Amino acid sequence: MSWLERTIGAVLRAGVIASSLALAVGLLLQFMHAPGAQLLLHAGILTLLATPVARVVVSIVGYIHERDWTFSTLTAIVLLELLASAVAALVFKKHL
Amino acid sequence: MPVVTPALAAIIFVAGAVSGGFGALLGIGGGVLLVPFLNLGLHLPFTVAAAISLTTVIATSSSVSAARAGKQLINMRLGMLLEVATAAGSLFGGVTAQMIAQSTVQKVFGVVTALVAIIMLTRLQRRNVILDPDVDPGALGGRYHEEESGCTVTYQVKRLPLALAASFVAGNMSSLLGIGGGFIKVPVLNAWCGIPVRAAAATSAFMIGVTATAGAVIYYGNGQLVPALAASAVLGVQLGSWGGMRFGQRASAMWLKLLMAVVLFVVSAVMFTRGIQ
Repeated sequence: MSWLERTIGAVLRAGVIASSLALAVGLLLQFMHAPGAQLLLHAGILTLLATPVARVVVSIVGYIHERDWTFSTLTAIVLLELLASAVAALVFKKHL
Repeated sequence: MPVVTPALAAIIFVAGAVSGGFGALLGIGGGVLLVPFLNLGLHLPFTVAAAISLTTVIATSSSVSAARAGKQLINMRLGMLLEVATAAGSLFGGVTAQMIAQSTVQKVFGVVTALVAIIMLTRLQRRNVILDPDVDPGALGGRYHEEESGCTVTYQVKRLPLALAASFVAGNMSSLLGIGGGFIKVPVLNAWCGIPVRAAAATSAFMIGVTATAGAVIYYGNGQLVPALAASAVLGVQLGSWGGMRFGQRASAMWLKLLMAVVLFVVSAVMFTRGIQ
């Protein structure tokens, strides 16, 4: 298994475990009306959303390391598209 | 926005488990079942339903791909190339979802689910292509070891522009309808681009995390993603897909597909009728 595949597997696994834990505990706290529930739930959602982004960032690093300029560029474009959707979200929020 | 009660969270957890279980059994995402349940069954706005479903798509993609990373079934290079098209499609679909009426999206959903059902029926007896192991996989092709047959499968990627176009459409439908979009990519990659169905499905499952994130971010930024409900659905789907994969070894795939096609035609009809009312 290559460094890239190993790292991608580890990033995805860590992201799923961390977000599921935060979401589960956040949900329990919410129904116990305990403080910090919303914070944990949002942290869980953001971790979930950040996991594929982190996977793309790791891929860029991996391809640069392999001096594979075609795939470094392609994965960088995917990262830019993800950033563009975050920008689109902010633009729309202003108009609503 | 819906009021989050423990009962609502529990219902969504169970719905997530059921759709995740079916999704794992049938190799399709559970979103195509979860979205209509949330929208028509629980009367959540379509955008709220789609946002919840997209978070479950991300969780499924991440956990399935984490388990498969390094087993060569996922064609990472092909996946990352096609992601350029799915992420663009998803961005476009997410923006579109903010601008068009719920009834229009429901009509699109009705048509798309009917198409999924038809695709499922035409692929009841899918055949495995016999591939020459000595072929050069080329820059984008792949090679993996198939456990059942014990042989090494090698394939080349053909008709790349078609694969990119299908990926763009899949990304578009993904963020607009809150589904994974694998049912659009996998048949195209398998039937016309020379990719074995298992590799196509694994690569698609790998890609939909990025696709769904591009869409989910837009819903989240607009306050349409209710964290507590998304949490219930994500946890339910994780449990369901784990169970589905266990049970999947014993169930007859053909009967499941037939049952699923019938369910999808019903979902399609109900969603479409709601859209034109």
